Amino acid sequence: MAIGNTIPPHALERLKGLRSDNNPKGVFTSDFTVNEFLLVRKAGFEPVGLCVGSCIYHVGIQYGSWNKNQEMTVLSQAMYQARELAMSRMREEAADMGADGVVGVRLEVKRLEWDANVLEFVAIGTGVVHAKGHTTFKGPNGAPFTSDLSGQDFWTLLQAGYRPLEMVMGSCVYHVAHRGMLQSLGSAGQNVELTNFSQALYDAREIAMERMQQEAADVKAEGVVGMNLHEGSHNWQPHVIEFFAVGTAVSPISTELDPSTIPDPQLVLSVNS
Amino acid sequence: MAWPKFPFGGSSEDKEARRAAEAAGQKRSAEWEQALTHNALPPFVEARLAAARDGLTPWTSTMTPAELLIAVTRGVRPIATVSGTCWYQYGRSWTEGHAAGWRSAQHRMRAEAKACGANAVVDVKMRTVRGGPAFSMDFTLFGTAIKIDRLAPSAEPIISTVPLVEFVRLLQAGVVPVGLAVGARYDWLIDASKTYAGNWSWNNQPLSTLGGFWESLRRQAHSELRADAARQGDGVLAHTQLSQLLRQEGGDKAPDRYLGRHIVLGTVVQAGEAASIARDVRTVVDMCDGSSPLSADPGDQDSVYGLNEHEGAI
Repeated sequence: MAIGNTIPPHALERLKGLRSDNNPKGVFTSDFTVNEFLLVRKAGFEPVGLCVGSCIYHVGIQYGSWNKNQEMTVLSQAMYQARELAMSRMREEAADMGADGVVGVRLEVKRLEWDANVLEFVAIGTGVVHAKGHTTFKGPNGAPFTSDLSGQDFWTLLQAGYRPLEMVMGSCVYHVAHRGMLQSLGSAGQNVELTNFSQALYDAREIAMERMQQEAADVKAEGVVGMNLHEGSHNWQPHVIEFFAVGTAVSPISTELDPSTIPDPQLVLSVNS
Repeated sequence: MAWPKFPFGGSSEDKEARRAAEAAGQKRSAEWEQALTHNALPPFVEARLAAARDGLTPWTSTMTPAELLIAVTRGVRPIATVSGTCWYQYGRSWTEGHAAGWRSAQHRMRAEAKACGANAVVDVKMRTVRGGPAFSMDFTLFGTAIKIDRLAPSAEPIISTVPLVEFVRLLQAGVVPVGLAVGARYDWLIDASKTYAGNWSWNNQPLSTLGGFWESLRRQAHSELRADAARQGDGVLAHTQLSQLLRQEGGDKAPDRYLGRHIVLGTVVQAGEAASIARDVRTVVDMCDGSSPLSADPGDQDSVYGLNEHEGAI
């Protein structure tokens, strides 16, 4: 088994069988649906192969103060580092098969039954290459771009005059303070805002969004599409929650596409029920 | 990926960095507390939104690429994702607490939208984090603040629970989605005779007392929805409702009690005079997999009230 970010030998063997400059008649693999496949082709790209990166990670232990709102930095770092490892391994596999980018990336976290502190992080998507060898569709620093957009969304994004740069994310694991006995008794039976809880959730979401936006700025993106916010607790102590913001950083493709040629989409009123 | 590096080492630099991070965290907490107490935004949130307004940082949006395409071609610019959160305890009244929680979240989200110079917030989703103390809930709204070309920033940005595609579709039909309306009522019914449920009878019969109580409660909630909508626009679309009728048996000496509660939330629109909508009927092939925007799929927007009686999309 290879170490760190290097590709394991069996993965290299598998890559040799896929389509590349050296092996143009190889077999591509993908998890595209029929519609996705057709629209990715329509966008001028060809699938090359499924790209996978995974990381099994031991998450360190950190206890939050009972009555204090605070970020759990040990856990935040763990979630960042493990996701980064999975994503960079997937990106490396994509680069090795000559892909310009990876679309339809699913980044999942799974809990392993046998140890509450061990999580598995998996990034999987389909590597694509521009059919005519256009080289400007790469991600930052010439690496393959990554995007969690589907094949349909990829086509539509290009139609809108943008190209994907990188999946950007922001994570914050936060401990929400418990309320003391006196505080609880003081507001018993009342309709009242619990401001320390509001503050904790607000702050944690804000931090996650700030970090995601910073990642977008780092890759010189114009914006982020398809952003979503997830909340989750990976078997941590009560009152500890991860807020995870994720989206695709995009950049305009004005060099390849005249904005005035962007088609005006037709809005429809559906008669489906 | 350039994730933040947290100083965990034992070096003096790391120790100093930890102290600085601790102090920054305390300052941030104090600013949040101050802001929530005075119905304002903390300075660092205002700064982030102002930078987004001025185009100094990348815009962020919940828009899909299809919605971005609509935005690009319709003169709409995404600015930032904005949110409003309120964790509310409903110790006295569940239903009134829910109404108050959503209203507070809406007020806070609108303040963020205003800070980034938006005309509207679209694709507003309702979210909640489970857990926390009993009889309380997280009421969170988040969506994408947008600026419409040639319009000045709004003093009171529109809050729209519909995505941008539907927002534009409504605007083209002369209808403006303007906000979120809430109607909520609860009441107790005391059954001293223990006959309201009809369990002493063999006959088919309408349970008129219980039915009347329940019907009245729903009507009051709908009336409140109408009043709340009237403060913002002239109609309500696509509502979600939750209703529960719970029975508490009193035992031998105490009466049975029924608790009814009904909450309904909807998208408020300013529809104006009825106008004809010129549309052709055309057969299309939908390239979407799974749920399609061509069908009225509510998605996960009403997942907060995933219990019963879903109607429409919100």
